[in-house]
Amino acid sequence: MLERFIQNICTDDAAIEALAETRERLKGAFAPGATRRMTQLGMVVGSALNKVAPAAEDTLVYASTFAESRSLEAYLDSFPSASPTLFQTSIHPSGAQQALIGRQRSLGEVFSHSGTGQMPAQSMLTALLAPAPRVILCGGEERGGWLVNHYSAQDRTFGYALSLTREPGPAPIGRLALVPSDESGSMAQSEWFDVLHHRRSFDGVIALGWRLQLSWS
Amino acid sequence: MAGGSNASGTVFLKACECITPFGQSGETLAALLRGERAMQLRPVLGREGGDLVPIALLAGRALDETAPPSWLEHVRTLLAPVNDAGWGTARKPVFVTSSNFGAGSMHAFRRSGDEAHMKYGALVNCVEWLRKELGWQENVAIFSHACVSAHLGLLQASRQVEAGLVDEALVFSFDFLSPFVSGGFHALKILNADFPAPYMNRATGSIGLGDGAGYAVLSRAKQDFNISAQSMYNEMHHFTANQPDGAGFEACLAPVAAQVAGRRVWLKGHGTGTLDAGRMESNAFGKVFPGSPLVGWKGSLGHTLGSCGLVELAIAHAAIRHGRTPGTIGSGAPTFTPDVALESFANDKFDGVICASNAFGGAHAALLLSHA
Repeated sequence: MLERFIQNICTDDAAIEALAETRERLKGAFAPGATRRMTQLGMVVGSALNKVAPAAEDTLVYASTFAESRSLEAYLDSFPSASPTLFQTSIHPSGAQQALIGRQRSLGEVFSHSGTGQMPAQSMLTALLAPAPRVILCGGEERGGWLVNHYSAQDRTFGYALSLTREPGPAPIGRLALVPSDESGSMAQSEWFDVLHHRRSFDGVIALGWRLQLSWS
Repeated sequence: MAGGSNASGTVFLKACECITPFGQSGETLAALLRGERAMQLRPVLGREGGDLVPIALLAGRALDETAPPSWLEHVRTLLAPVNDAGWGTARKPVFVTSSNFGAGSMHAFRRSGDEAHMKYGALVNCVEWLRKELGWQENVAIFSHACVSAHLGLLQASRQVEAGLVDEALVFSFDFLSPFVSGGFHALKILNADFPAPYMNRATGSIGLGDGAGYAVLSRAKQDFNISAQSMYNEMHHFTANQPDGAGFEACLAPVAAQVAGRRVWLKGHGTGTLDAGRMESNAFGKVFPGSPLVGWKGSLGHTLGSCGLVELAIAHAAIRHGRTPGTIGSGAPTFTPDVALESFANDKFDGVICASNAFGGAHAALLLSHA
């Protein structure tokens, strides 16, 4: 059975919040001054990650369809004098790395997914197949600017992080399982986030060959 | 703590191939054995000019992107022997890995205003276009983790194969250059007019860049070669620098050494040509695999970025079959450690090769390719 138990979850629906507002709201989650250099995605994913507290022996699975859209836009607009800072922060998986580097939190395995309708299932499958006793499944998107009009950025900002264990332990808050299916389906990252954010139970086909069973205690 | 993978050796390499500016793996191997360098000095921003930097492009390609991207036909040719119907189904997944995907198309759009480029631009749009062009079904997973991207695809594909969830897996990795990426590395001041000299102890370090793509078909059915001892470690120390003591390199290699368990291996390192990383990498290899010859090929091919793990795996695979390993082209004495092999050598007395890659954020990955 491909299943894991949810021990902790943190979600942040920043929606259409401006970058400055997110910075002000989340500055307490990071070292003083750190948010000045962070992307909006880095802040919402990072603050969620901080709450589930990745440990050295954890596997981290990160998922983002569009990643650092604002940095990417700004980097593209910096030519012909390309910005080294924006180049760095536009590279996958910067959204997860920003908080982890800030905390000097080394890890063994880090899987950085992208994708559209198959990505939530694929990132879950990566988490469920990882041998580590505990896996952190996290991800998010940030609201882009001009890239939104080219279906190349998300139109809302959100972030999530869950800690998943093989054993249920004394007080799991939920259970996540993938069951093989002959059917095909899809689930966008934003749909997956909404399921998590509202703690909805779910039983349905979310990808080619995979049914998600998600329940909350 | 490094992450380990399929130690049981039940994941076999059914097929593995690459394309570089020299051609596919056989042609690339032959050129490397002759000591040839694929990179040439070219303007860093393509038609917009800029400093001359070492860049290796596939035949017929320019640094500036076209619409549709000029690399598509190279990919079709590369994948033709294995791109039969059925990839992307539930039992035959595809794992696409890259660092830059269609970033060159986004750069071309932003500089030219030509909307046609955006169809291939964003990461997911690029892969969706490619999926349709290559006739794959929906089960296409995407990994992007800078220059260890290919290793992520290989590891997750191996796990699905080993778990019996799939019959075979296709791992495809590509990175084709554009001003987007050359401009970025130039801005970081590690891409300059000097050709890279991997593992050479010289005054200044530098990298070069190259086009590259590769694939591996992984299977549970027994083949001549298998992939095992896959390891990863992520320092999370700094975006572009490693821990100064080199501990991250050792943390990745130590579990590999435990699984190599006395077998005689040669080492295909990352070796971009930067000084600090080259020193730390070669020291870590010398400590964990003392006496094993270390080679790096980015002094000829340039750094093929997210695809380098697969491109260089295909060359290593070809080298084992051929019986001779190319040396560290572009480098010279003095090297950081005595085990750096500057010249080619016969590899028939070795049991396998450790292939390692490193990336931004202090990410490290390694695997063992050996006879089954």
